[in-house]
Amino acid sequence: MNKKEKGFNKNFQLETPLAPKRTRLQEFWRLFRQNRLAILGLFIFILFFCCAIVGLFMTSGPDPLLDPAMIRLQEKLRPPLAKPNLDSLRREEIPYLGFYLMGTDDLGRDVFARMLQGAWVSLTVGFVAVGISVLIGIFMGGIAGYFGQHHIRVDHVLVTLVLISGAALVTANFIRSGAALLCLTPAYIFYFIWSQNRSGKKTLPLWAKVFRKNAVSIDTLIMRIVDIMLCFPSFFLILTVVALLPASIYNIMIVIGLTSWMGATRFVRAEFLSLREQDFVAAVKTLGAGNFRIIFRHMMPNAMAPVLVSATIGIATAILTEAGLSFLGFGVPPPHATWGNILSDGKNFIFDAPWLTFIPGIAILIVVLSFNLFGEGLRDVLNPKLRERH
Amino acid sequence: MISFIGRSVIQKIITLFFVSIVSFLIIHIAPGKPSQVDPMNPKFTPEMVERFQKEFHLDKPLHVQYLYFYKDLFTGETVSWKDNQSVLKKIWERFLNSLPLFIVGTIITWTLSFPIGIRSAIFRGQFYDRSATFLSYLLISIPGFFFAYVLIIFVVNQFHVPVIGMETFGIGDGASLPYIFMDRIWHLLLPSVLGATGGIAVLSRYVRSQMLEVEGQDYIRTAWAKGLPPEQVHYKHALRNALLPFVTMFGLILPGLIGGSVIIESIFSWPGMGRMAYEAILARDYPVILTVNFVSAVLVLAGTFISDLLYLVVDPRIRL
Repeated sequence: MNKKEKGFNKNFQLETPLAPKRTRLQEFWRLFRQNRLAILGLFIFILFFCCAIVGLFMTSGPDPLLDPAMIRLQEKLRPPLAKPNLDSLRREEIPYLGFYLMGTDDLGRDVFARMLQGAWVSLTVGFVAVGISVLIGIFMGGIAGYFGQHHIRVDHVLVTLVLISGAALVTANFIRSGAALLCLTPAYIFYFIWSQNRSGKKTLPLWAKVFRKNAVSIDTLIMRIVDIMLCFPSFFLILTVVALLPASIYNIMIVIGLTSWMGATRFVRAEFLSLREQDFVAAVKTLGAGNFRIIFRHMMPNAMAPVLVSATIGIATAILTEAGLSFLGFGVPPPHATWGNILSDGKNFIFDAPWLTFIPGIAILIVVLSFNLFGEGLRDVLNPKLRERH
Repeated sequence: MISFIGRSVIQKIITLFFVSIVSFLIIHIAPGKPSQVDPMNPKFTPEMVERFQKEFHLDKPLHVQYLYFYKDLFTGETVSWKDNQSVLKKIWERFLNSLPLFIVGTIITWTLSFPIGIRSAIFRGQFYDRSATFLSYLLISIPGFFFAYVLIIFVVNQFHVPVIGMETFGIGDGASLPYIFMDRIWHLLLPSVLGATGGIAVLSRYVRSQMLEVEGQDYIRTAWAKGLPPEQVHYKHALRNALLPFVTMFGLILPGLIGGSVIIESIFSWPGMGRMAYEAILARDYPVILTVNFVSAVLVLAGTFISDLLYLVVDPRIRL
């Protein structure tokens, strides 16, 4: 680096174009490196990621290396690093490492194997739930920010209502009347297209104008939906839905994702509202680019920074929520281990076997902390305003 | 001003209407039935199931059930399906249990986070600030249930006091008044500290960033240039202006009144709102779930409304 710069200085001429010396990514990395806590967070995050993937391979399959479900009742509540009592174990029951790295629980299951299995659950819950919420957030926020000034007309609302009530009637076993309503919608759309083609600029009759009135702008509609969603107490809502649905990890991911997209929507909308007015978007528009290209090629990369930060912190929140749910006994059905239910099982032995509480608790703490630190580091680097001040 | 109030009240009522519809649909469309009307339940004969269904209006179509439920709610006649008690009375009793937790937790949050936040803004970048920052990340990241057990182990081993429940079981007979008082305090302390941890972390960070924002302003430089002592600059010139956004946050703590933490209340066997909601969910006691949901939505909307109003009152620059 130093040598190169010297060489550059020697041949320096005013006519040489002064392009930025570093790419965007290099610049980002240079700034990010200064934040030691964020680097620590990134490091732990990578470590956790590797653990989860290695753990998935070592604890799954028909004959896993570390069997998290292997019950050895004669070896229960052994402390961490304890050697197994070889005389009382069958050959296949001896732990792969030769000792219990993190002890055993009340059924003599190897806590290390269970922690590895649980790591994958935490990882996937965090990423899938946040993935869902970010996708919904970008979609809703993008529409609200870019097409927000368009209006929904009265006939749109009516058609949607007819469609919904038709679907409701079909599900409530009134198939004939429901199907009639469902058919009405495409009929209206065809009529609409036909009448537009035929009449051109001819004025509509007075009664039809009522249907063409603007009811509500798209922006208002989406933001009101966000307001409605924000009225629900989030953990209570998640708990309700998860308790009513059959127990499965996918339900938890989907429910957490569906109840946490409001932040991303607001960020994307705010960014889009300001980006839409900027010159480069106007330039792209005059070049004749379509909406799709403008949104995804030009505006989205510029709007991603706050979404990325909130997503990183969202992963931490999702992992905490999942741990809380499995602590309460919802979520993954019992033989499968998650960090939350290891802790929840271990709490009955809190004074005799504290490692059953501390190991999963500290693991959750460290992982969540790493995501939070990494997210805050990203926020500092990606937000030029904050950068100047510190 | 009047038009702003009118507009936002109408808007909030519309939002509330949709919230009521959505929560009703979520509860009723989800698979499964309340145990009283479940045909698989061996405790009830088909005749009883039919009677329950009539009683709960479960044989009617959904929109009629919706009207029945909210008619009952507004006339205060909603009864729990589990024990046939009035839901509003049940919620009120549990609310009184949760109230001390909420009050103590809020006091702890607000009294601790302001000194911490202000101090770390003044000593920005120094050891105090960095350790406070790290500590607040730690507090945000720690799972509440794990922290609860750590604190339980610590307090029980160090001070040998019971902490589970609202009071020691059977303490009423013959104990002296100060003893009962101290007992209640010990039981109250841990859950409210736990309820405050997240709040302290978030609020102190927010105080810090607000203070930093104000400390960078020109009038603070003027104050320094005038040769004012540091206390006066920090606390008279900077703090007063940094406090502005926090006035509005008084509105936003309103929803916490009914939220209660499910996890913390179930760890400490605290008979509060969160526990009641949790038990209602497990028993599929639809009226209780829906009422709790409705009341908390009302509180959220009222909270945002109050904070908007406070903004208007406090900040003369805002005109609507």
